[in-house]
Amino acid sequence: MANYLDALSVLILISSFVLMANKRIKSYIKTFRIQSIMIAFLTGIMGINSLLEKGNYDILVVCMVVIGIKVIYIPRLLNKTYKSVEYKVEKDFFMNIPILIMMCCFIVAFTYFSLSTTQEINTGYLNSRVVNSVSVILIGLLFMISRKKAIGQIIGFLVIENGIFVTALFAVNGMPFVVDIGILMDILVGVIIMGIMVFRIDEKFGTTDINQFNDLRGK
Amino acid sequence: MGFVLLGVPVVAVILFFLLKKKKSQHLISVVTSLLIILIAGMLTRDVIEFGTIEYIKFGDFIYIDALSIIILDLVAIISFMTSVYSVGYLEEEIKEGKLDCRRLKIYYMLMFSFIFTMLLAVIVKNIGVMWVAIEATTLASAFLVGFYNGKDAIEAAWKYIIICSVGIGIALLGITFLQFSSIGVIESSQFLDWTALYQNAGALKGSTLRLGFIFILIGFGTKVGLAPMHTWLPDAHSQAPSPISTLMSGVLLNGAMYGIIRILAIVNHHFENSYFTGGILISIGILSMVTAGFSIFSQKEYKRLLAYSSIEHMGIIAIALGIFTPLSIFGGVLHMINHSLTKSMLFLSTGNILQKYKTKNIIDVKSLLKVLPVTGIVFLLGLFAIAGTPPFSVFSSEVLVITSIFKENHFVIGIVIIFLLAIIFTGIVIRMFKIFYGDVIPEKISVGELNIPGVSMLVLLLVIITLTGFYIPQGLKSLIDQAVGIIIGG
Repeated sequence: MANYLDALSVLILISSFVLMANKRIKSYIKTFRIQSIMIAFLTGIMGINSLLEKGNYDILVVCMVVIGIKVIYIPRLLNKTYKSVEYKVEKDFFMNIPILIMMCCFIVAFTYFSLSTTQEINTGYLNSRVVNSVSVILIGLLFMISRKKAIGQIIGFLVIENGIFVTALFAVNGMPFVVDIGILMDILVGVIIMGIMVFRIDEKFGTTDINQFNDLRGK
Repeated sequence: MGFVLLGVPVVAVILFFLLKKKKSQHLISVVTSLLIILIAGMLTRDVIEFGTIEYIKFGDFIYIDALSIIILDLVAIISFMTSVYSVGYLEEEIKEGKLDCRRLKIYYMLMFSFIFTMLLAVIVKNIGVMWVAIEATTLASAFLVGFYNGKDAIEAAWKYIIICSVGIGIALLGITFLQFSSIGVIESSQFLDWTALYQNAGALKGSTLRLGFIFILIGFGTKVGLAPMHTWLPDAHSQAPSPISTLMSGVLLNGAMYGIIRILAIVNHHFENSYFTGGILISIGILSMVTAGFSIFSQKEYKRLLAYSSIEHMGIIAIALGIFTPLSIFGGVLHMINHSLTKSMLFLSTGNILQKYKTKNIIDVKSLLKVLPVTGIVFLLGLFAIAGTPPFSVFSSEVLVITSIFKENHFVIGIVIIFLLAIIFTGIVIRMFKIFYGDVIPEKISVGELNIPGVSMLVLLLVIITLTGFYIPQGLKSLIDQAVGIIIGG
């Protein structure tokens, strides 16, 4: 089973690289959905494992909720939002993609070295799964600052949350059940609210480009 | 009682949804907040009597001790003031045509969900559930920040929800590391439990705990408004309706600070000193004070200026926590109380000013003392109070914090803080006192107060902050002493 988990953790990291290389908002949403499917797989494997070993099905329930929220509902919601606010395809990043990918590589190396100095994560061998998932969080942050469309920022936020979720799975076998469900509910409500706000932004500013947000700057 | 406390706002939200009449909405709002204050009072009595409140039979979910009851009482008191104030404020907004009954309903529903999430955050036992509640405060208040739907309001709301959600997300990573550090020490049913973590603090894994503390400080610090994560705060406070700014500045910031204090207690208990946390907290606190001090000079709007002053006071509390002696913690907790009462008074007054003059710019407000006699006097004295002038309560807690710094022989830090306080005092005087000048009443502005229930709340708050400047009631003092014992241990 360890092989599957290793492979999935690397695949999730690669999917965030792919996300960084995407140019269109539609493809962001697709990549996010693929990443969520992999996370659902991961949760499922761990859930079955804990069911067989300890007979508790908490993680399997969480897996179902992940599929419902992150794989099905949120991508659909984002697609709907995207269709109703976007008029034309616009370039949506500050730096060009090769530089961003290079920066992602540096992030992974940075995470590797900084976590290798933390004794407990590094007992004997470095827990490379945690390195991968923490890198996903940092890549999500970079994604947020490299995109200027509102939907791009929502995706960045979701990738950060995905990274934290995977870190929690690998490092501590998932948080307590109530907390996990609470986090997922918060994300769901948060994305719904952000989606409504994207509509409002589009209504008021005529675009969802957040670089237009400068009325409050310098006040 | 704890569950009843959580149930009351939930029932209120449902009633707001069902009832249609304007008057019944106002009535429910005031009655609900009165009930919350009553229940909070009963809980306070229990805490003074028994020390802690737990309901082990009901899932072991709630844990209230002296520290949480202080924040809980603040939530209750300020919610009550705000809901009484809101009646007059909203009536005026309806008269001006800015609101209709449907939006009034939404306002009250969101406001009480906001209050519910803050109550939940301070009474739960599990750090993870507290995280969920604090994230939910952001979600509940995001639409309230953007309530007026103008360009600026939407911008502020978007900034607020994105920055705070990401910040809080980083705190979640910290909580993951905290749980990681407790694996093998605490059994899995007690994961992320305050009390269990605190009791077994010595056996936790040190370096992961340290990593966790940094992430949690950054994450909750975003919500507290510590520099350099403060950028959402002035925008959100200035764009939100005044009663909501009051709730945010008076209660929300303290709620997030409460999260930091709990973790701080665990980390310091583990290391048995405060070198690690002290360095970080003091430097971040001084940075917040510097940022606030220099930004105040360039502010053109009075609500933004008050928002920067909130950043400054949060910085002072962070420094007090960083010093970590019984005296400084006492001063810090007292400062939390004093700051939130004083700042609530100021933000509620800005609501009256805004409705009278219909502008947020300092320069357009003139001869306030003539136009709004009571609000004007309260606002003037409130500005003196928040800048740290005796005899008001903020002064007494600032003196306690500064004394504790000098007692620990941190002379440089103490002098820097006094210097910064002087700068901030000057800034407030230079920028804000223009609005009191002038005898000529501007055209198109009628003299007299609009919001009579609101003004009575302002006067009540002024009386409270003046009296507590001279004398701290014995009950409050013993509660704060208990809270200090909880934070420092022993």
